[in-house]
Amino acid sequence: MGSIHPISSLIREANQIFLQMGFTFAEGPLLESEWYNFDALNVPKDHPARDMQDTFFIKDEPGMVLRTHTSPVQVRYIESQIKQGIQPPYRVIVPGKVFRNEATDMTHEAEFFQIEGLVVGEDITLAHLKGTLEQFFSKLYQGKVEIRFRPSFFPFVEPGVEVDMRIPDNLGDKVAPEKLRGRWLEMMGAGMVHPSVIKSAGLDPAKYQGFAFGAGLDRIAMLRWSIDDIRHMHSADLRFINQF
Amino acid sequence: MKISKQWLDTFFASPLPPAQELADALTFHAFEIDGIEKLSHPMTEFGDEVLDVKVTPNRGHDALSHRGIAKELSAILKLLLANDPFVLRPLLAPVTTDVSVELDSKLCKRYIAGYIKGVKVGPSPEWLKQRLEAVGQRSINNVVDATNFVMFNMGQPLHAFDAGKLGSLNIGVRAAKDGEVMVALDKKEYTLNSSMLVVTVADAPVGIAGVKGGMPAAIDETTKDIVIESANFDGVSVRKTAQALKLRTDASARFEQVLSPEVAAHGMQSVAALIQELAGGELRGFVDVYPEPQKPMYASVTVEKVNKVLGTTLTGADIADAFSRLGFVYKEEAGVFEVQAPFERLDITIPEDLIEEVARITGYDKIPSTPLDEARGTPLVNPNFYAAEKAREELVAKGYSEIYTSVFAEAGERMVLNKVDSVRPYLRDSLLPGLAEALAKNKDNKDLLGLKEVKLFEIGTVWPASPKTSSRGGKGGKELVMLGTVSEKEEASEKILEPVDATSYEILPLSNATRFEPFSKYPYIVRDVAFWVPKTTELTTELITELIKKEAGELAHKVMLFDRFEKAGKQSLAYRVIFQSFDRTLTEVEVNQSMAKLSRILVDKGFEIR
Repeated sequence: MGSIHPISSLIREANQIFLQMGFTFAEGPLLESEWYNFDALNVPKDHPARDMQDTFFIKDEPGMVLRTHTSPVQVRYIESQIKQGIQPPYRVIVPGKVFRNEATDMTHEAEFFQIEGLVVGEDITLAHLKGTLEQFFSKLYQGKVEIRFRPSFFPFVEPGVEVDMRIPDNLGDKVAPEKLRGRWLEMMGAGMVHPSVIKSAGLDPAKYQGFAFGAGLDRIAMLRWSIDDIRHMHSADLRFINQF
Repeated sequence: MKISKQWLDTFFASPLPPAQELADALTFHAFEIDGIEKLSHPMTEFGDEVLDVKVTPNRGHDALSHRGIAKELSAILKLLLANDPFVLRPLLAPVTTDVSVELDSKLCKRYIAGYIKGVKVGPSPEWLKQRLEAVGQRSINNVVDATNFVMFNMGQPLHAFDAGKLGSLNIGVRAAKDGEVMVALDKKEYTLNSSMLVVTVADAPVGIAGVKGGMPAAIDETTKDIVIESANFDGVSVRKTAQALKLRTDASARFEQVLSPEVAAHGMQSVAALIQELAGGELRGFVDVYPEPQKPMYASVTVEKVNKVLGTTLTGADIADAFSRLGFVYKEEAGVFEVQAPFERLDITIPEDLIEEVARITGYDKIPSTPLDEARGTPLVNPNFYAAEKAREELVAKGYSEIYTSVFAEAGERMVLNKVDSVRPYLRDSLLPGLAEALAKNKDNKDLLGLKEVKLFEIGTVWPASPKTSSRGGKGGKELVMLGTVSEKEEASEKILEPVDATSYEILPLSNATRFEPFSKYPYIVRDVAFWVPKTTELTTELITELIKKEAGELAHKVMLFDRFEKAGKQSLAYRVIFQSFDRTLTEVEVNQSMAKLSRILVDKGFEIR
């Protein structure tokens, strides 16, 4: 028997957990337009993230970038639903590859994986975000995981938060390495979708609201399995992959 | 930004709690803290503590200063801000006609010049040196230090020119001319272009607006008369200029964030008073050119909306409390709050901005944890993901392992610009080269992996070459998701991963690994040992394997039974032992010794080595 890649296992597991909560799995292009990657997400034209430093632009193709996050699919998904005449509520996860024009080292890669989550409806609140993430991490770690928020900022959410999780100490080594248990760990950014984004996607922000979150899957994998170096993920090395 | 605890204390009637408490307060209600440094001073009994505050990009306009952070702490800890420099309306008087200011660009929203004659430039007093050193600044002289102090105190970048060296007091702000050159205070020559803003005197550049002042008008011990600049320059322009000239300064970092032009007046008021206090001189007066004063900004939100977004049950009183603590002026009527944001809070525009203020000041721990309603019906199966998972299951059953390789290739039709490492700048048009490369690499480790054959697959995105007859503009065809496979017996091949419709997902197994075991980067040495085991032996194969693992020694990384058969009442077992070290390349001699020892033990057990 061969092995699937640990990231694939994590995506499979995330899909199983979110499926139970009524989430669909969506995807979007890796080569994305600037509009979906930035403008629709309320990132202004002169924002530093749009400099060549952090984002991959394509030669002779102005207006195209390698997507820097999975967030563009929030807008694509909503648009596609509206096109099919389907109004909210929507619940969707978007696992996929993203790109940053960064130097590579033990904790940084130019290409890595994220998982996006989006829930939109008439009555979706920040409290629902907390509840959903608590459920997700509790299922992932098979125990009662606590969630807390800290203030943060992303152009596409308001309020914007960082999400920390804490795995109880008594869950044992099989669930998570000892050094991770009983401590608050930063897991992802999240927040209430900015009304500009709701509007860009074609919905009325006075009627609909929702939450979104984006987590680095490589980081979740590294924490869970004590993987010391992110570069293993794209190494195609079976000494790594066959352990999973 | 470095924030000194002692400096923060100056805004309050009594000293603040210790830095760790301040750090927690900010972390949970405003900004992340990157660390706390303890400083000891010969002058004070208790020393100082410096917090490294990570001000988020949406708050650069008000929080990149001690006053800004003090204001936050005042709201969070419910402590009255006793000395707020923004409270009194600045009185920039008298007006002087000695200096003229001409604004020739929309990129400058305000320019205030302050003219002081007869100053005595010298060293700064101890308290000022301490303040600046705490935040990592060197003391230069009393006048320059005063401008830096006020910038770190209230966030307004300031500059002082030696009026005597300027030769004229006709100040201008205009676009630079292409090729115009200026030697800055760092003694380097900068070549400017028309996208950059300059401050001029008699039309000659004396400063790169918002970035750095010019050398010719530098303040030194001979300076007698000074002109202070407190202005507001367009953030985008300053950022692009600083980037193009590779010259990021504390001033440019603040202008980049877009400041309120109102702050310029407070800055000027404060620095003029401070300079006179430290260096004496006679204040001749000010010139303030402010063509379009900032209008008051209003935002409104209802109690209902606050709770609707947060999922809370806050009352009007709770919300009012948050606004009061923040110093927001508000009117409330029938559950509707109309708020006038302080002039420095350029981020308060829509109801959601107010909701965020309420949430963070109240505390995110007050947000309940509410599960989503039970899902209505089962979500649709994603046909692409379903197809990928199906392919994974089929291939894994046949012994293939899944890899992910980089989308970046050495050749291809599409290229990314400015790749940091400049290696492989093309977007791949096929999975095949990556698969072939991975096969070759993994073949070397077959023994270590205990594999008879290396079999790999990848599900990944490619950007195929455009058809030669493509009539489209742009390069390359649409991106495709491919399924590629390779093995030692078969050449790498790939095909488009076609979607598969299904009504439900299969329940597929997850990895049951508990922990990744790091592997050595040093080469390994393989040794085989085969022997006859008499049928009469009491030891099971499992016990024999355990025995070999134990007796092969520390250097044995892996032991595998790879062959067994029976003949004439005896069993033959063949083991492969992989020797490898984590910190060095092993020698044949060491391995031979280990194997010799192992062989002796096996013989002692009555096994006949083949």
